[in-house]
Amino acid sequence: MDELIYTLKQQIIEALNLEDMKPEDIDENASLFGEGLGLDSIDALELIVMMEKNYGIKLQDPTQGKEIFKSVAVMADFIAKNRKK
Amino acid sequence: MIKHQVNILPNEVKVDGKALKVKSCGSTMLTDLYREYVGDYPKFFKMDTLSKVGFIASELLLNAEGDRNFEPREDRAVIFFNRNASLQADTHYQSTIQNPENFFPSPAAFVYTLPNIVTGEIAIRNKYFGETSFMVIDDFDEKIIRKNLENAFQDPVTKSIIGGWVDCSDEEHFEADIFLMEND
Repeated sequence: MDELIYTLKQQIIEALNLEDMKPEDIDENASLFGEGLGLDSIDALELIVMMEKNYGIKLQDPTQGKEIFKSVAVMADFIAKNRKK
Repeated sequence: MIKHQVNILPNEVKVDGKALKVKSCGSTMLTDLYREYVGDYPKFFKMDTLSKVGFIASELLLNAEGDRNFEPREDRAVIFFNRNASLQADTHYQSTIQNPENFFPSPAAFVYTLPNIVTGEIAIRNKYFGETSFMVIDDFDEKIIRKNLENAFQDPVTKSIIGGWVDCSDEEHFEADIFLMEND
C-alpha cells in the first residue's frame, strides 16, 4: 500500500501540475479539497480521468468522487480494491 | 489616461518603459517572472501559455500600481484583444483526444480552450467583479482597441480598465502590451 500511495502522489502531482510539490510534501491523510491541497472542481475531473487512464477505473457515479477523493490514503484504498490494471 | 504599462515579448519585459532583467526566454521566462515577482499563486502552473502571459503582465502592472489589497471591487474592468484566440490551448487539447486508442480528454486542458479565461483568471485573482471581455480581431488595431475601451467607460460603474493586447501562438511565441487606464 505504501508503494501505491507514493506512486499515486507522483501521479497527482503530474496530472494536476502541482509544480513546486514533491510526494513527501503531500500528507496522505490530509483533505485533497478545501483546506488540504486546495484542489478545485476541474482538478476533481482530472483525477477521475487519471484513475481511468492509469488504473482502468471508470467511476459510474461522479458523486462517488466526494468520498473517494477525501485523501490520498482513501483514494489508494479505493484503487487497490477496484483497479483493472 | 494611461497610468501604467507592461510589455512582454518572449525575451523582453518592460514595466512603464523600463526593461526588467530577464535571464531566460519563452515559457521559462514566464515561470522565472512568476517566481521572482508573484510566488503566491500556484494556480499559475496550471494555466495555458496565453493565461500565463496575461496573468504575469497583469501582476507586473498591478505591482507597479502598488497598494494591492485584494478587496472585492466592481469599478475595474479587464478587456483584452488578440489575433490567435486560444489557439495554443486548442491545439494542446486536440492532442489529448487525437488517438482513439488512448482517448483521455483532459478537463484541465479543455478549460483553457477559450481566450476569455485569461480575463477571468485576472478577475478571480484580484476579486474584480466588473466587466471582463476578450475580443478576437484580425490584427492589432489601435483604433478598434481604443474605441472598445472608451465604450467600456460609458457604463456608470467602470472607473478603470486593465486593457490591451495579449496574444500567443505557442509556448515560445507570445506578446503582451497591456496598460492600466483610468477614466479622464
